[in-house]
Amino acid sequence: MVEKITAYRFERLDETLSQLNREDCAIIAGGTDVMVLHKSRRGVPPKIPKPIVFINHLSELKQVYQHHKDLHIGACCTYSELLENPLIPFALKNAIKTIAAPAIRNRGTLGGNICNASPAGDMLPLLYVYNAKLLLRSVNGNRMVTISDFIQGPRRVQRFHNEIVTEIILPSVLEDSHVVFEKVGNRNADSIAKVSFAGSIRISKDRIDDIRFAFGAVGPTIVRSVDIEKKLVGKTIPLDGADIAAIGSAFDKIIRPIDDQRSTAAYRKTVALHLLRYFLSMKQYQPN
Amino acid sequence: MNLKNISTSVPKKDHKGKVSGQLPYISDVKVENMVYGVLYRSPIAYGKIISIQLPTLPEGYEAVGAEHIPGPNYVKIIKEDQPIFANEWVNYIGEPILMLTGKDLDILYSLLNEVKVEFEEHQAIYTLDEAIKQKSVSSVLANYEFGESLENISAIEQGAHQIIEEEYDTGYQEHVYLEPQGMLAVYKDDEIIVQGSMQCLYYIKNALLSALACGDDEVRVVQSPTGGGFGGKEDYPSMMACHVAVAARAVKKSVMLVFDRSEDMLVTTKRHPAKLKYRTALDKEGNILSMCVDIFLDGGANVGLSSVVLQRALINSAGVYKIPHFHAKGYVLKTNTVPNGAFRGFGAPQSFAGIESHIGHLSKLAKIDPLEYKRKYLVKQGDPTITKGKFRDPILVEEMIEDVLNVSEYKKKKEDFQRLNQQNQRYKKGIGTSLFLHGCGFTGSGERDHIKATVKLVKSKDDQVSLKISNSDMGQGILTTLCKIVAKELDLPFEDILYPYPDTKEVPDSGPTVASRTTMIVGKLLERAAKKLKNQWQTGVEQEIVEHYVHREMIPWDEKTFTGDAYPAYSWGVNIVEVEVDTLTGNIKLEKVYGNYEVGKVIDERIMKGQIDGGLAQGLAYGYLEKMTSKQGRIQQKSISDYGPPTSLDVVSIESKVFDNPYADGPYGAKGAGELTLIGGAPAVQAAIEDALQTSFQQIPITPEVIIESLWMKEGEEG
Ligand SMILES: Cc1cc2nc3c(=O)[nH]c(=O)nc-3n(C[C@H](O)[C@H](O)[C@H](O)COP(=O)(O)OP(=O)(O)OC[C@H]3O[C@@H](n4cnc5c(N)ncnc54)[C@H](O)[C@@H]3O)c2cc1C
Repeated sequence: MVEKITAYRFERLDETLSQLNREDCAIIAGGTDVMVLHKSRRGVPPKIPKPIVFINHLSELKQVYQHHKDLHIGACCTYSELLENPLIPFALKNAIKTIAAPAIRNRGTLGGNICNASPAGDMLPLLYVYNAKLLLRSVNGNRMVTISDFIQGPRRVQRFHNEIVTEIILPSVLEDSHVVFEKVGNRNADSIAKVSFAGSIRISKDRIDDIRFAFGAVGPTIVRSVDIEKKLVGKTIPLDGADIAAIGSAFDKIIRPIDDQRSTAAYRKTVALHLLRYFLSMKQYQPN
Repeated sequence: MNLKNISTSVPKKDHKGKVSGQLPYISDVKVENMVYGVLYRSPIAYGKIISIQLPTLPEGYEAVGAEHIPGPNYVKIIKEDQPIFANEWVNYIGEPILMLTGKDLDILYSLLNEVKVEFEEHQAIYTLDEAIKQKSVSSVLANYEFGESLENISAIEQGAHQIIEEEYDTGYQEHVYLEPQGMLAVYKDDEIIVQGSMQCLYYIKNALLSALACGDDEVRVVQSPTGGGFGGKEDYPSMMACHVAVAARAVKKSVMLVFDRSEDMLVTTKRHPAKLKYRTALDKEGNILSMCVDIFLDGGANVGLSSVVLQRALINSAGVYKIPHFHAKGYVLKTNTVPNGAFRGFGAPQSFAGIESHIGHLSKLAKIDPLEYKRKYLVKQGDPTITKGKFRDPILVEEMIEDVLNVSEYKKKKEDFQRLNQQNQRYKKGIGTSLFLHGCGFTGSGERDHIKATVKLVKSKDDQVSLKISNSDMGQGILTTLCKIVAKELDLPFEDILYPYPDTKEVPDSGPTVASRTTMIVGKLLERAAKKLKNQWQTGVEQEIVEHYVHREMIPWDEKTFTGDAYPAYSWGVNIVEVEVDTLTGNIKLEKVYGNYEVGKVIDERIMKGQIDGGLAQGLAYGYLEKMTSKQGRIQQKSISDYGPPTSLDVVSIESKVFDNPYADGPYGAKGAGELTLIGGAPAVQAAIEDALQTSFQQIPITPEVIIESLWMKEGEEG
């Protein structure tokens, strides 16, 4: 039985957007999530219920450039490309190196990780910490949303079917900040995060100027709380035990992980809080 | 290439086919008039089948079930308790009930969804703990007991300074062979040829003779290139072979059954989860006065090979130690879960993990370095085994220990790590050891009474020599090593010796490819056959040499009393492992792994290194990384990434050495090497983690979840 599938691969972004405007399509960038999601049992090709639009060859979606203080990253840049790009911050590269293995990093894209909106997406905690914004384009023009507004839940994003995410924008890339990302998986490659943590801190004259944290794989979306972060602004470094404990218990209340085939809720929560406390107890922070 | 030294490596026979990707595995094969089979499996763990309702099947699509089996409805292994197609009771989730056949897999999958089976569900037993609690006559699938009388032990315990009791749990392990299971039955009017990925051609042939109730010349079993086995293709393929052969007979077409990874992980056999209980009497100085060991294996839904696995677990229950006044008993218990079966080590990995852990903990009580404590009890040549057999051959373990202590700088590292751990709050380093052995070949008199191996060498008119044996190369390299043995004996270039993939029509039964027996037993028979052929060599003439197994003089094995020589020979190993534990996440990083082994004589250095590195990767992972769980009878991890076998980033380079100690009844002195290398991994990694965290564990795998919980409890205790 030969099955017919419709697939589009246009030369230019505008043609692609016109097609998306005419027809609800499944966008494929690297395909490393799409193909797994629609996988069939052995011997049967994946079943994708809509016509397919390939976008990962579009040069408009592969640029990386600095504009004023913002870093613009094309949605279809692959992980391997980003690893080689000098504009990409060190912390983000470290996070990229924890993703999958070289073969998947050659195909998987930053835009795909965001639009797939898995709570275990390894780019997401840092992107939340960076206050990343997404540029969406359609035939009607451009629209900008913050990543936390865009991602609504597992595999749920606020995208109209005629839109493409074209750029990820990192506003004034935390230049003077100390930024970390820690992924906890069951092994050192090809593993899905059981819990992950991203943090950034900017100090001036021993006082906290700006501090942010985000947790992955401990809820339906990345967990970040600007309210809790604010409590620490202005405090001196090193933080005292009571402050650290207070922040820990504030997150204890909002982190609600689950048991699944990869780990337990208890483990995820304990480790998330460990990583947070460890980050807060550091004696010194160096911009990186 | 003429071989001067048998140990010198040669290119593997199947090297080119494999690295070029040209070698066809069973799922690459297509034959005329071939249909696919897919299995309808039980969705419940325990119950009675009330009715089966099939959808309307399109033309060319058929259903095959118990009613199509010409012979009795069980897979012939040891006991008759495993139905080919369950038709009355189902005993585990995933048990095959019927097969649908047809050309298009897509259509078959949607037809499967329309099959309706009505069950009367019964209360299932899901875990080993439940089975132990409810232990009844019907749930004990096998049991043995042996050793010092309990009265004597009781008297010793009365006078003891202290009695230590420990309970130790080991988890599932999944084989994760690269190539999932697959079997094809080629239909012919007068013959069914079953080919596929397998370790034991004659197990399959015997199962088929029973299932098809047919004559010896009506079935034929042919091994196809096999991408890994690890024991997973010892017993399980017999069931698949029955499925495809019965179906081929019924639909009069060739039938292919191949699993994808998730089906393979959910329904095929795994390593038996086990509970081991230790009760040890100590004197004031912490010396062992007596020891009792109870072993419980989770057999899963039917016994399969579990009784034999239990035997090996029990025979190894004292590890490499001479323990005074030792008593052991063991049970295989039934649960309504996927049947557990053969897996590299065959019961020994559970026992070694347990005994090494227990002895390690005893050494802490005695305040003696674990390795020093272990050495006090190490068996020596001439010592009795716990089954009243004898360690006949020289034992080099002391030398192997000395060597690896030097190479690893064990003592210095122990001190360094203690200092470093005081400075580093987050990361803690530890070093641990394991000592182990592996009994080569079948347990007891199995080789003589059950297997009765026969090998054949055939020389053609143009003087080409071929090996005619029923053993499978599954990646371990026997295509190469066995040809080397014959080539060297005959003084011919290695390349000139042929070893075609075995076909039961062509080869005698040289036994299954299991139990670290192939090189030692089959290799020895081939060596003898080659010697004979050399003596009788007539250029340009067809010649055939047949050799039969000869049993080494031993203390006869008695399965009832569980006494005698359990194995003709033993291989030995010592591991040292260094780890770094992240106390915030519980993650473990292997830092360094050392292994010293004694396997008689190495037949090919590179192949041996493959066994060492692969066995250790699998054995280490068994101790801390690979985690499989079952919930309400359902396996939870159905992908490789969820199960988590080690990647190249998880394994560090392994420094290993092999000691020569030629064994008279092995070819060029070789003993078994395949299973040995796995056994020391888990206990050494556990000891290293315990050293890093200064705490004790009572289970493997020691996952980050286990570590974090233990650290949390410790924190609680320390307030
Ligand atoms: C073996 C393996 C290992 C993996 N390991 C990891 C890991 O360690 N960490 C991790 O985070 N992920 C991992 N993944 C998941 C995956 O590789 C990443 O999420 C990757 O970033 C997805 O990118 P892609 O381009 O392949 O996405 P695709 O599969 O092409 O798309 C994903 C989703 O996003 C949509 N989409 C993609 N691009 C756009 C766009 N520009 N505009 C609008 N919609 C878009 C698609 O329609 C689809 O819904 C792994 C996957 C595999 C197969």
